[in-house]
Amino acid sequence: MPASALSQHAPPQLVLELPAETAFLPAAAAAAENAAQVFGLDAGGALRLSLAVEEFYAYLCHHAGREEPIRLTLSQGGTFTRADFRFRAGEVSLRALNFAASVDLEAGEDAELGLLVAARTTDRCGLTRSGPDVFHLHAEVDRVYPEAEAITTPQRLSPPLRLEPAPTAGALQHAALLAAGRYPARLRPHSFARPARFADMVAWGQYQALLALDAADRPAGLLCWRASGRRAVVFSGPYVFDPQLAQDTARLLIEGFLARVARTEVLCAFSERPTNDLPRGWFESLGSLSLHGAEGSEPVAQPAYFRHLREDAGAAVWAHPDLFPFLRREYDRLAFSRDLLAAEPTPPARLPVHSLLATTLDRLRSLAILRPLLDGRDMEANLKAHVEAIHEQGTGDILLHLDLAEPWQAALFPALTACGFVPRLVLPHAGASDMLVCQHAPGHS
Amino acid sequence: MPPAIAELVPEHIRAFEAYTPSRPDPDLMRQYGVDHLHRLNNNENALGPPPAARKVIEAFDTTRSAIYPSGDCYTLRTALSERFGLDPERFLVGNGSCEVIASVIKAFCEKGDNIITADKTFAVYEWVAEFSGFEARLIPLSNWGFDPDAMLAAMDSRTKILFVCNPNNPTGTWWDRDTMERFLRGVAGRAIVVIDEAYCEYVDDERFPDGMELMERHPNVVVFRTFSKMYALAGLRVGYVCGQKEVVDYIRRTHIVYSVNTLGQPAAAAAIADDAEHITATRLMVAQAKGLLLPAFDELGLKWVTGAGNFIMVETPASDSLMYRHLMRRGIMVRTMTGFRFPNWIRVSTVQLPVMQEFLKALREVLGIVAGAQA
Repeated sequence: MPASALSQHAPPQLVLELPAETAFLPAAAAAAENAAQVFGLDAGGALRLSLAVEEFYAYLCHHAGREEPIRLTLSQGGTFTRADFRFRAGEVSLRALNFAASVDLEAGEDAELGLLVAARTTDRCGLTRSGPDVFHLHAEVDRVYPEAEAITTPQRLSPPLRLEPAPTAGALQHAALLAAGRYPARLRPHSFARPARFADMVAWGQYQALLALDAADRPAGLLCWRASGRRAVVFSGPYVFDPQLAQDTARLLIEGFLARVARTEVLCAFSERPTNDLPRGWFESLGSLSLHGAEGSEPVAQPAYFRHLREDAGAAVWAHPDLFPFLRREYDRLAFSRDLLAAEPTPPARLPVHSLLATTLDRLRSLAILRPLLDGRDMEANLKAHVEAIHEQGTGDILLHLDLAEPWQAALFPALTACGFVPRLVLPHAGASDMLVCQHAPGHS
Repeated sequence: MPPAIAELVPEHIRAFEAYTPSRPDPDLMRQYGVDHLHRLNNNENALGPPPAARKVIEAFDTTRSAIYPSGDCYTLRTALSERFGLDPERFLVGNGSCEVIASVIKAFCEKGDNIITADKTFAVYEWVAEFSGFEARLIPLSNWGFDPDAMLAAMDSRTKILFVCNPNNPTGTWWDRDTMERFLRGVAGRAIVVIDEAYCEYVDDERFPDGMELMERHPNVVVFRTFSKMYALAGLRVGYVCGQKEVVDYIRRTHIVYSVNTLGQPAAAAAIADDAEHITATRLMVAQAKGLLLPAFDELGLKWVTGAGNFIMVETPASDSLMYRHLMRRGIMVRTMTGFRFPNWIRVSTVQLPVMQEFLKALREVLGIVAGAQA
């Protein structure tokens, strides 16, 4: 059976509507633990998710609006179980939804209940917004998969090569271990070290994968990608297993990948973990990020590559005038026609007191991504608080994404630079418009 | 709480990407900072319509725009009937051939059916099938052309239509009479065979099969032709389908009436009334353009593919979308081919020599920029 066949089935889920009352804490926690076990987590994983749900729910009981119940959706993502709280912020201060916000000591609450701390038992978590005052707080805990030893034996393969568009789980696991044997950890998905997890991720549609085979149907190369929003995909690879066939294998995989995404709703392909085998001339360099990764070692430059799958009709983007030189240089280098519209900061008197930032934490990658959700007079202080809190809990790399379709976001640039963020990349069409990626670089604050 | 709008939409529509046409020229020119734009992206005939069609357009009585057009294109079908010596009922005219593609699929396919075509051809067969909820079986090209044996091998009891683009857009390859006959014998009437002859007037070779003649021996053959290419009436949107009377009658049941406008119908009829000189002049323009471009591509070390039709595909050393942006900055608009599943290829329409020279100059500049960036 092709590994992708499972993704055709709707994943099971359990939905609860809960009043914002702490009396229902045990009900929420018990439902999470039970669902997690049914969905495939072991006892330890189910307990971790249950604890996260308990902490998040307790938090929301204090800070969510009471106009309508909190909706808790527990769902199976194949290789993880997800808890998603949908709630209205209502008349309650949105400030409390910041991950770095701690509860008011004078109100007699425990200062340790900030969402960032509440998230410590999860593998990934974050806050997103789906309406003017509708928010989602989610947490994910991964299933445990056995680690397997990478295959380091040199491969001597025989052309001609061909693509296997629907590889079996066994073939994917074999290829993941071959890739693990040839490429450093930072250049491959974590799941390659736990190949059954990788195969399940493909089966559940978290990844799509193309496998190249040689004349004897042995794995010759692998490329995988996943959706990033509705209009973009990010890819890892190409991974090639016989250096003597590297060029042909890589080209076959890239051509196959582009053919698969070319007539879909995907507008752009971005690299997530590009290898040195990426053939020249197929992608455009957007620049690079300097990332420490989970190992916490010396930072390593991670180049970012891009390919537009459509003809660009030009666009207008908002930018603070301080950003103009950077954007003009980048747009000119990439030959993107963009009108730069000057975005000035909103006068403080017209801003609400508190700002709100969405935080996504990826513990495995030691990476935090911030996105501004609401502007406020305390934006600079809020950003600083987030940076400090994220560093304190051990996450090394912090990125901040600004959607240049939003003038108020573009106008935040001076506040970002004051907090030590520097512009690194422009990602064309990655948001409602282009996305600016800023990176926290402490020396620059 | 009412369901979200998306929940009301079938899965195959939710997954489908709407086609995004290019913006109007003035917008593009302003955006890319150029004072002119040569559209070399849609294989339009730069000579414009034949003289007789031009006269019809120039003499158009504007008061007629208040009146509905002929709902079934009566006069145009009569003109087609005279031109090809066939009953007018064997013609069905649509708002460009894209509309008749949809009509044919609606007429013959039901849930669980499939269509067969090539993976690297005109995309509309595949798109219409998929957004209608039918499987499109895509057969890889062989030697840049449709692969008859692989198409036959892909057929099963639920195959209703095979689409053959002859000549193929974008490679320009075509099946000769023997290949087509062998293929039709293989199909043996089990499914409808659509032969899309959008570029047939560009072929000057007696081995090229005439679909109008084939359908007399193979009643399951349906031919598409268009006035958008050789006849340069793309802006008026007129295309048609021709087949056996029974077949066309079924297609007509799914077809929208009144979809072809009042100006397009007489202009198209005039276009075929006296087209010999126009076709000769167009073929000469295309030959001269290819005579200039192909040696230049060789000199630049660029691989190219061309055949019948007013277009050439060229492989570029960088992403086709990057080439597009750089060329647009020089007032040249080409077609990127990633969407045709030819990544890193562009397709350029062949037009008058001065424009082709300007294209070559721009291409040389862009290749220099790309090489510098990659060094």
